[in-house]
Amino acid sequence: MFLKVESLKKSYKTGEISTQVLKGVGMCLDRGEVGVILGPSGSGKSTLVNIIGGIDRCDSGRVMIEGADITQHKDNQLTDYRREQVGFVFQFYNLIPNLTVGENIEVVSNISKKPLDIDSVLKAVGMLDKKFRFPRELSGGEQQRVSIARAVIKNPKLLLCDEPTGALDFSTSREILKLLQQINKDFGTTILMITHNTAISALANRVYRMRSGEIVEETINESIMSAERIEW
Amino acid sequence: MVINKKVLRTILDNKAQYIGSLVLIIISCLLFTMLNQLAINMNASSEDFRESYVQEDASFISDRRLENLEALEANFNILIEHNKVVDYSISEEVIIRVFSEGTKVNKPAVIKGEAVGENGVMLDPAFAEANKLEIGDSITLLGRSFTISGYASMPNYIYPIKEETDLLNNPNAFGIAIISKAAFDEVKQGSSFYSIRFNDSEMLEQRMAQFKDYLKSQNVSILKWTNTSENPRVTLVSTKIEGMNQASSAMPVVILLLSCVLTGIVIRKMLKRESVVIGTMYALGYRKLEIIKHYMRYPMLIALSGGIVGTILGAFTMNPMLKLMLKYFNLPLDKISYSLQYVVISVFLPIVFLGVSCYFVIWKALKSSPVELMKGGKDKGKVGFLEKGLKLNKLKFATKFKVREQLRSVPRSAFLLFGVILSTVLLLYGFAAKSSIDYMIKDSYGEVFKYQYEYVFNGLQLEAPQSGERFSVSPFELKEDAKTSFAVYGVQPDSKLIYFKDKNGNNLSTDSIIITKPLADRLELKPNDSISVTNKLDSRQYSIKVAAIAETYSSESIFMPLRQYNELLGYPSDSYLGLWSVEKLDMPADMLLRSATADDFKKAFDAAIEPMQKVIGIIAFMSFLVGLLIIYVVTSLIIEENKITVSLMKVFGYRKKEVYSLILNSSSFIVILGYALGIPALLALLKVLFASLAESTSINLPVTINYIYLVMGFFVIIFAFELSKHLSKKKLNKISMNEALKASME
Ligand SMILES: Nc1ncnc2c1ncn2[C@@H]1O[C@H](COP(=O)(O)OP(=O)(O)OP(=O)(O)O)[C@@H](O)[C@H]1O
Ligand SMILES: [Mg+2]
Repeated sequence: MFLKVESLKKSYKTGEISTQVLKGVGMCLDRGEVGVILGPSGSGKSTLVNIIGGIDRCDSGRVMIEGADITQHKDNQLTDYRREQVGFVFQFYNLIPNLTVGENIEVVSNISKKPLDIDSVLKAVGMLDKKFRFPRELSGGEQQRVSIARAVIKNPKLLLCDEPTGALDFSTSREILKLLQQINKDFGTTILMITHNTAISALANRVYRMRSGEIVEETINESIMSAERIEW
Repeated sequence: MVINKKVLRTILDNKAQYIGSLVLIIISCLLFTMLNQLAINMNASSEDFRESYVQEDASFISDRRLENLEALEANFNILIEHNKVVDYSISEEVIIRVFSEGTKVNKPAVIKGEAVGENGVMLDPAFAEANKLEIGDSITLLGRSFTISGYASMPNYIYPIKEETDLLNNPNAFGIAIISKAAFDEVKQGSSFYSIRFNDSEMLEQRMAQFKDYLKSQNVSILKWTNTSENPRVTLVSTKIEGMNQASSAMPVVILLLSCVLTGIVIRKMLKRESVVIGTMYALGYRKLEIIKHYMRYPMLIALSGGIVGTILGAFTMNPMLKLMLKYFNLPLDKISYSLQYVVISVFLPIVFLGVSCYFVIWKALKSSPVELMKGGKDKGKVGFLEKGLKLNKLKFATKFKVREQLRSVPRSAFLLFGVILSTVLLLYGFAAKSSIDYMIKDSYGEVFKYQYEYVFNGLQLEAPQSGERFSVSPFELKEDAKTSFAVYGVQPDSKLIYFKDKNGNNLSTDSIIITKPLADRLELKPNDSISVTNKLDSRQYSIKVAAIAETYSSESIFMPLRQYNELLGYPSDSYLGLWSVEKLDMPADMLLRSATADDFKKAFDAAIEPMQKVIGIIAFMSFLVGLLIIYVVTSLIIEENKITVSLMKVFGYRKKEVYSLILNSSSFIVILGYALGIPALLALLKVLFASLAESTSINLPVTINYIYLVMGFFVIIFAFELSKHLSKKKLNKISMNEALKASME
């Protein structure tokens, strides 16, 4: 297994009250697979993915990436892990406002060991002609493409997407999903994606359904649908 | 690194916030460079002057000519030179003090033109300029015609004041002229004096005492003895330079600290705004150090550009400033030099200051985890304990809103308060100094001294005068501490021309020993205390018991009945040295050492106060700028923080005026409070400053400030506030209603 999560627990304290957000979650993904996490708002999806991506900490449990437990990593080890292995696509894009499209991607290519070529990645996401624009001059879908380009530029082993289509309309969403599927095929990138949208689960090898901090259902799809044909 | 490209863009997007820090740093480096380089040049030049032109260690007047100067020089290892001086009235108003040229001691330095030659005269340049006298012109002095050969400085008259007690010089009415010894002998006028310079400056006091003892043993009486270390014409320069040195370290550092706080606040605000970016960078795999490095570029860019611009401006303004100083201080200056060391310090000081303060701000902001940062930082929307603690619910909405605005960012409000206090202090500083001097003048020439004319003879007088009131005066110093010097007067016990009051306002009779308040304060004396003192003319010791303290700031002196004075010093019982009078007296000039009128003093004062008023004006304007800048930056920070609120207010249909009033007026309370606190801060500062002035010059100024100035200052500060509000209105108008909708996505 490429990714293996075991009995992951996490709780938040607000004043005196402590709420358990993850109550012993377990899941796994093989190399090159696409995983989808489904679940209602507040069920703990983002928390889980953030811990897997090394930007948040758990209380107990293990997150094994290629056999190494990242929950035992020190801060700077976690930084190296994020720097070398993980790509992020955020729901609200999180582009840096005062940098152009090209520069936003350079932000990551600058610090990675073997980055892909910026122009070809931009071309792949269909944004090459807008390389010198600032984020505020782009639509939401365009911004999400840039943020995907930024995530894949370092050719990460693991791509984490927190509702990548959450703020987009149907046809733009389909374009983004096609893009992700393409990347998965071309580079063999393992992708873990959060969504509210059950239709999207048809694209995944494994589907996990969460409810109030627990995985309540795990489905393994024998065959995967092409994003071209997705409909909702 | 590519992310560094956003540094300049971000700064330009928020110009108003960074411009404040930048200008403060520029002002600070400008002042630092200008004042330090100025002090260095002045110091070097006065040091050079002292050595190259053989500045005297003391000058004295004796009751008769000294014989055999060569023998004295050899015996005491000194240089001694006899010279003559006379005051000559060119016109009713203008007096020129003519000296014979020093050839061994106090050699004049030719600043422009040539040395005197046979029929030439050299003038001090400020006097020449004020009276439109040029090189080559003829001038009649002492009944003879001279040609102006050049301009010169004299090492014992660097600050050319007429009387030693004068505060300020007046080149319109008084100047120095130097003619050759031969020419002076021809005119057969003037009185003699001696200038001595000890070849070995160690144990100067003792050597002087030995010298004085020797003269006494030769039956020579010293009528007047002035140490150079107490000659205001020389020491005022060092005092000024020292003051400049203090100012040149204190002022820029205070302003720099202010800009540190300001930059810290601005950076903190920016980090909050950028917290999503920071969180994202973290998530993308950036190391903490890389992020810190990136954000350190903001303060570094500001510090470096401000430091360089300020230092260059300071180097440029130093030259005109030096010229201005040389108008007051007559020093020869061959070349202007710049100290590289201070240039380097000036450029790097802001980098260090801002670097350290901003490093902590940034380091603290990066302590949150990436997820927290991406959600907008740990304390987004957190309500401070101050805000929680106050029960605001009963207040009107508008008041509540304004109070919350100030409490939400305590450092910002504290900065505003401190900034307003500082600019109030600067603003009122000049006004208060003027008030204090005004008060002192009124006190001495209105309340205490009623005479119009003062005549001092060049020898003790024994015959009763035709008219006028007799007095004598002699310089003393404290036995334990030679630096504390003061005058002791012998006055008529029933004087009609001096009036003293004690602190309860009761008249004090001049038939007892009276000490003035500044001196009593300095010596910590109470009525009926005794002090041991040394007479500076004969270096002997005496004990004086004071009976009362006079409430006056006019001088540091002791007054005693003339009889008692003569008895104490062993002078003939009815002798006296000078006369005070309300009417002008007809005195032969060759009997007089000096004469002065109260009117002269007032005129000189008025003339001298004129440039001072300019300086006060400049300081007031600068402090207005600083105040304006601070209020403006704080206002723009408030606007920036409330962008969404303002946008929502607009969506809800608030009118422009209502928005202005809610957002812009929220700091008015702090501005007014800052002004109110600035006044006691100023008075405390002045007390310290005046105490150190009194220490070094024996000029005592009472700390007062006229109410008119307080009102004026208040209006200036309020004007700065209104102006910054006006400048900020545009920014409020520019906030679009979309802002509220966009923001909800972030
Ligand atoms: N910093 C925090 N402090 C306290 N509680 C938190 C914090 N962050 C998240 N939570 C709580 O943890 C729970 C899980 O949050 P999480 O963001 O993982 O949900 P999610 O499944 O991603 O929801 P959504 O679909 O709305 O994004 C929520 O109930 C939320 O209230
Ligand atoms: Mg979520």
